[in-house]
Amino acid sequence: MTPDAVGLTAKEAERVRQLCGREPNDLEWGLFGALWSEHCSYKSSKRVLAWLPKEGPQVVAGPGGNAGVVRLDDRMEVAFKVESHNHPSYVEPVQGAATGVGGIIRDIVAMGARPIALMDSLRFGLEGNGQRLRDGVVAGIGGYGNAIGVPTVGGEVYYGPGYAKNPLVNVLCVGVRQSKDAIVGASGARPGQMVYLLGQATGRDGIHGASLLASRDFSADDQDMRPTVQVGDPYTGKLLMEATLAAIETGGVAAVQDLGAAGLVSASSELAVQSQVGLELHLDQVPCRESAMSGYEIMMSETQERMLLVLNSAHGGEALAAISQWGLNATPIGRVTASGRYVLYFGEREVANLEASWLVDGCPLTPAGKDLVAPAFKPMRPSPGSMEEGVEEGFDAGALMAIASDPDCRERRPIFQRYDSMIQTATVWGPDHEVSVLTVDGSPWGLALAVSGIGRWAAVDAYAGGAAAVSVVVSRLATQGAVALGLTDGLNAGNPDKPEVKQAFEQMVLGIRDAARALDVPVTGGNVSFHNETDGAAIWPTPVIGGVGRHFHPTAPVADSLNRPDVTLLLINPALSPSLGGSVWERQHGVLTAYPRVRLSDLAHTVTWLGTAVSDVDADIRAVRAVADGGLWLALVKMWLASAPSVGMTVTLEAVHAMPRLLSEEAGQFLAAVATTRVEATLLQLQSNAIGCLVVGQGHDGDYLELQVGRPSRWTRRWSRSQMRAAWQSWEGDSGGSGTP
Amino acid sequence: MKPKVAVIRFPGSNCDRDTVQAFQSLGAETTILAYDREDLEDATHVVLPGGFSYGDYLRAGALAAHAPIMQALVDAISRGAIEVLGICNGFQILCERGILPGALFANVSGQFRCSWEWVEVLTPPARWPGFRRGMRFRLPIAHADGAYRIGHSDREALWAQGSVFLRYVDPDGQETGEYNPNGSWEAIAGISEGPVMGLMPHPERAMQPWLGSKDGRLFLSLWLQEVPQ
Repeated sequence: MTPDAVGLTAKEAERVRQLCGREPNDLEWGLFGALWSEHCSYKSSKRVLAWLPKEGPQVVAGPGGNAGVVRLDDRMEVAFKVESHNHPSYVEPVQGAATGVGGIIRDIVAMGARPIALMDSLRFGLEGNGQRLRDGVVAGIGGYGNAIGVPTVGGEVYYGPGYAKNPLVNVLCVGVRQSKDAIVGASGARPGQMVYLLGQATGRDGIHGASLLASRDFSADDQDMRPTVQVGDPYTGKLLMEATLAAIETGGVAAVQDLGAAGLVSASSELAVQSQVGLELHLDQVPCRESAMSGYEIMMSETQERMLLVLNSAHGGEALAAISQWGLNATPIGRVTASGRYVLYFGEREVANLEASWLVDGCPLTPAGKDLVAPAFKPMRPSPGSMEEGVEEGFDAGALMAIASDPDCRERRPIFQRYDSMIQTATVWGPDHEVSVLTVDGSPWGLALAVSGIGRWAAVDAYAGGAAAVSVVVSRLATQGAVALGLTDGLNAGNPDKPEVKQAFEQMVLGIRDAARALDVPVTGGNVSFHNETDGAAIWPTPVIGGVGRHFHPTAPVADSLNRPDVTLLLINPALSPSLGGSVWERQHGVLTAYPRVRLSDLAHTVTWLGTAVSDVDADIRAVRAVADGGLWLALVKMWLASAPSVGMTVTLEAVHAMPRLLSEEAGQFLAAVATTRVEATLLQLQSNAIGCLVVGQGHDGDYLELQVGRPSRWTRRWSRSQMRAAWQSWEGDSGGSGTP
Repeated sequence: MKPKVAVIRFPGSNCDRDTVQAFQSLGAETTILAYDREDLEDATHVVLPGGFSYGDYLRAGALAAHAPIMQALVDAISRGAIEVLGICNGFQILCERGILPGALFANVSGQFRCSWEWVEVLTPPARWPGFRRGMRFRLPIAHADGAYRIGHSDREALWAQGSVFLRYVDPDGQETGEYNPNGSWEAIAGISEGPVMGLMPHPERAMQPWLGSKDGRLFLSLWLQEVPQ
């Protein structure tokens, strides 16, 4: 075995020899190759991720563990993290996506939390086999999530040319646990305790998944990577989840780590380092599905549905009994030592003897850029055409309908209908809303959850895109008056060895940092996926941000649609000079300029105000939505289509910049419908808080949406509900399932 | 006699906790029974909950139909000692065991489907007079294999015996005779025979207005023959 064959560079190989003080054997080379892979070591991103804020009084566990944990109230805590399964999903969409779901669920379980919600963020190409990949991914997510019994309560899907051969599958899982339970995780192992392997027997599936599949670019002949994709088994996953939670409940579990990328070597060395102990593992004791598996294969296998447990002597027996209740066996495979050494045996023979910290922390890290300030905003090229010149030349009703029916904007029901969004009976708002709302057993409070990350916005100015992703998520939580407790970041990019990719990645993280700071939300963990690059073509840098908020009245969410027409429509915190940069409109017209920088301090003000205003009877906000993709226009369309059939809207805009006003996707803007009788008071409130606001329309009786441009109106257009519904629900070849109205 | 509800947990059941909670919220004493028991304790009412028993890897419900506790269930039914409700996977298990007629096939879309549906009582079951003809419930479905099928020769008997309990009606709650979310024969959503009832929709998920409907409270109360709360 050469270092090269396990994916190590010459420089890294030299470092390995230095650490060991000798030439490692083949197995040891393999261990280094797996753990020093980009996927496991975060070698290109670790120093950059250190820039992110991670502190807060509500933070129980920050980055570094299986998942971040934040405090919901005195009794309940929330564990959550996003993880990517991009490369496997391209090679084999169904299993790639399914095992992604299984993996992130196990991460949450390893924190001692019961998974209560999934959300997914998907990216595909529109051309070629984009639809085939999407169907496979959706089937995989549904197949696993539906069977294991964790509801998929929301998500998003966007399209772009770079995703055609680099689809993105990022999955967020949220779990809850009681605060009184001792924190479980990988850090509690103590010398003398026994190490157990729980779950599926180990097979030859997924060997090199992390080191090769997920840590390098794709080229045309990579179909040979298929054997490295693992297969998911949600049935065993369900038993494993229940058995692990039951074992933890007995108090017999000292440490737990799930087996994911780089299987046993990753889980065990991580656990050793986090617990600051040594480990002695006996590979011949590992239950195998296939005969004559080598130590190398056993250590590298990425067979799914496995957990590593360290049991304490006081209650370990009860933990084992709890596990057997679920029909699973925990097999002792080693013990915790005080030596600090990571020693592997096969039978009597010692086959590896290293320091676990060499594997986990030894990899040379890429230095991060030193420039920690936001890059200068490059003035954008003016948008093409006569868009900015006024209503006569520039107004285009057809363009508005094209936005409503764009794949990035249209309804996602054909996708989310294939996911069970209601199991566990806590989903108050599911995937047909932009923010999900859940009740939490054991707390009067609930959760508001949102996920967003539009690559188009980061395509030209990654800093702006990173800041915008955070802004949209926090804005969506704010529409519920929810307090943002924490964020998780799924960062997707191309080959980090390319200077332009590295630079964009750093700027994206800076944008996330600045927005998270300005909005005062910690980033408690996440995932980096590089090498989303095939045949030299990379994806847009894509920052998928998930947010968890404390919802104070989860059984009565703040509405995002109307039952009555007596409202005035407000655009709160409107763009100062509406820009089409990075918008759907630009993409449709074959250009992409820089997305506008979010005015973070204005947004922070607005979020604070909304926090009380949405439940303030005096402000009487009847419905509110955060502006994002498709701009104010799509927010209006979605609010209207979700409203009672008797409710219509008339939208009135100045002639100048009417289209950019409607279609600018600048985050931080809110569409609010306020009771007309209360609107003067609301406007005063906004004014005294120095928050900008435009009156953009009125509700009315009558089942149509009317747009009036210019004052007095120089141009009017009216759409019936069925027209608009037809546009927004245009599914082009998607099957909505039989019997769908 | 106060009802004692037992929810059977098969390996892979995943609606067991929701179902227990639903019955407890109606004030019924409710416990979970493991699939490998050979008795039903002192249950008066037995519920087979939704889920993916044994992963649905063979055919939905096919393996669970032969779990040890199922013989006890069959015996208790023949003694007339219990009332049985199968929800979703539980309905599939009852059909696979032959306790209810017919079978659940893959949805005609070929896809899992989770959505809110309206169902209507077509034939009131003799055992549960509280369900009246034309009564409508808004309940969610969440299944990949919910298309009810029955052989030609058995169809007449199904009607004659008054077994066609529940059918899907259109999204506005109107009976058009055409609406069908999964391709079931005659848009059938549920069947009842004697002391056994099975349906694909999930009443246990419709227990609170903020979850989308509280029609499940009425449904389960009628099944318990308790005064609805």
